[in-house]
Amino acid sequence: MKKFFKRLLIFVLIIVIIIAFSSSYSALNIDNLATVVALGIDTSDTNTLRLSFQFTLPSSVSDSGSSEQSPSIIYTVDASSISSGINLMNTYIGKELNLSHCKVIAFSEELASRGISNEIYTLINDAQIRPSTNLVITKTTAKLYIENSKPTLENLLPKYYEVFVSSSKSTGFTSNATIGHFFNSMTCNACDSYAILGGISSENSESSTDINSQKDSSGKSNESPLANHSNSENTGLAVFKSDKLVGELNSIETLAFLLTDNKVNGFLVSVPDPEESNRYIDIYLTPITKTSIDVKIVSGTPYISLKYNLSGRIYSMKSNSKYLNPKTIDKISASCSSYLQSTLSSYLYKISKDLKSDINGFGKLAKSNFLTNNDFENYNWSEKFKDSFFDISVNSSVRSGFLLTET
Amino acid sequence: MTHSKLNTVEAISIILSIFVAHTLVSLPRNLIISTKSATIINLIYVGFIAIVLTILIVKLFKNFSSCDIIDVSEYLGGKVFKQIIGIIFIFYFTFNASILLRNFCEYLKIVYYPMTSIVFILLLFIIAVCVANKGEFETISKVNLIVLPFVLITVLFIFFANTGHLSLENIYPILGDGFFNTFISGLGNLGAFGGIAIIYFLPPYLNNPEKFKKISLVSIGISIIYLILCIATILFMFSSIMQVDEIMPLYSAARYIEFGSFFQRLESIFILIWILEIVCYLSISVRISMTTLKKIANLSTSKPLILNFGLLIFTIALLPKNTSISIFLENTIYKYLVIGIVLILSITILLLANLKKKRLGGTLENEKIL
Repeated sequence: MKKFFKRLLIFVLIIVIIIAFSSSYSALNIDNLATVVALGIDTSDTNTLRLSFQFTLPSSVSDSGSSEQSPSIIYTVDASSISSGINLMNTYIGKELNLSHCKVIAFSEELASRGISNEIYTLINDAQIRPSTNLVITKTTAKLYIENSKPTLENLLPKYYEVFVSSSKSTGFTSNATIGHFFNSMTCNACDSYAILGGISSENSESSTDINSQKDSSGKSNESPLANHSNSENTGLAVFKSDKLVGELNSIETLAFLLTDNKVNGFLVSVPDPEESNRYIDIYLTPITKTSIDVKIVSGTPYISLKYNLSGRIYSMKSNSKYLNPKTIDKISASCSSYLQSTLSSYLYKISKDLKSDINGFGKLAKSNFLTNNDFENYNWSEKFKDSFFDISVNSSVRSGFLLTET
Repeated sequence: MTHSKLNTVEAISIILSIFVAHTLVSLPRNLIISTKSATIINLIYVGFIAIVLTILIVKLFKNFSSCDIIDVSEYLGGKVFKQIIGIIFIFYFTFNASILLRNFCEYLKIVYYPMTSIVFILLLFIIAVCVANKGEFETISKVNLIVLPFVLITVLFIFFANTGHLSLENIYPILGDGFFNTFISGLGNLGAFGGIAIIYFLPPYLNNPEKFKKISLVSIGISIIYLILCIATILFMFSSIMQVDEIMPLYSAARYIEFGSFFQRLESIFILIWILEIVCYLSISVRISMTTLKKIANLSTSKPLILNFGLLIFTIALLPKNTSISIFLENTIYKYLVIGIVLILSITILLLANLKKKRLGGTLENEKIL
């Protein structure tokens, strides 16, 4: 009899637990979910926010895993907050929105200029949002940006969103900027945050008329030199002070940011040819050592010393190149160092004097000059950063060409 | 006494599991909140004090080999005092286990079971603990010995897999909120060493009581290294940790781990391992409480108490009205319970018992009790 009651108890417990947990299972069942791959957030004329949700159709992926280019669906709703917009959308589509596969969150430039801390806190508070979700600030509306995010060399949209910033390691013209990192920097008292600068490339892109090889690296999103191409693009960085967008970095400035932050493996720069005026040489540079940064407080002002160590090989070739001649190589190295020094200097003074935003987190290093948090807070780093003085030393040693050394 | 015996490694893993279980929920953040960027220095400092206290405890137990703190209390103050101390320790173990369980289940609910009532999530753990305690203590310790290395590996993995996200500069300003905060009021971080409580109950369970010193010191040493690793991961990763309260900081750190697009969301595996560790921790706490009650109530067996303790933990876990209360209980009350009961009360009992023994020498009374 005792055995019977024991078994009965076990049976009842199993039934109770199955019933209790089935509700969570149903709520997270793939049949009841609508998977969002990108979220666009704009300002709205009729309400506080305009939310655009991009979905892909799961049925477009065949059983074998290969697929036709997956069509995407975009729904837009005006709402007072992100959570309220999600709620409205749940009602409209008859499924529950799931953000656990959301790869991109795009904010319009207009909204970002007003401040996005509420939205960022809300998104970080959502257990479904991954900290690795990319954060994009769009030069156009966020809706237009995600509408134009069409993978041309990828079949799957989520895959495209996952790899679209991977070029940052080899070009330095864009950077991986995630919501997790943005949130950490936004709440940090010794650094500021940044996001990917997105836009639409089209024939009507804003562009300047001067033509030289330096122009290739001075563009940013919405200023694309790509021809016959209408698609979203991610070039440059959006710079924030606290939660407000305060400026943008173009390609070469983004490269300077990444180089300072040790986040680029190699990059191509066009430096003036020391042998021939009005000509540029393309050099592929790779950092040999990590950038050494030292922050001191001299007479109450931040004094930041940066040492860059790079090695390079000449990419562009012409006839009568004497790249085995030590003097020529030394001259090219000096030209390269001088070019990088001026680029880095203009970048560093731009973020400190113009934008007043410490996106490289020099403040964290400055903390080593203070014994206590109180001392650091009293110093008021975010205010003092604009007075920073930068001592930049670039040592680039150009070796030779790649396969050709002399022509 | 008819205790199943533990070997050295099992005993170390039991002490460690108490430390580890608390770090999985919110202990690392509490430590960082109290001493900010100086937490690592503070941990080295309080770790040194913890080692000194452990040496003291071991030394004080030398005259009471194979006795636990309850036996020592009986020797010191008789049966009534033994019962009071026994009840205090039962309260300590059940209360801490209940609150930790409640918070862990709250977080599980947020992340994985949004539509399930917390009652049922708690119930799952209680069933597991009751079933585990049906076996001998040896069984629990052996299971714990299997689970614990995996937990330690997950924490090591979180640290090394996140090296790209670590900012070592977060250790500055080196003194955090100042010398007083780091070294004087920072002594409150001794509350992280709640695992010492198990040391008081370990001697009767040991296969080789002569290894008591080694077991205690090794476990405290590993705990200090483990705590420093946890703190380093969180402190170096999150600049926001001092401003924003994130649930389960180690879980938050695990969410950042990604190896390309193939290995993602590894935190799900970690949660599974951590659930097993929490069950081990609860089982150890229940077993120690049961044995203590058996001892103070002069019961012949502790097995019928399993359900009672299971229900007691379940009920205490349901008492906090909301998460803010349960977090307050875990963050603040736990720390003071450790300092008050584990460090001050217990060491005082041991000191007085040793003084009594020294005073009475080898009298008949002394021999009779021990």
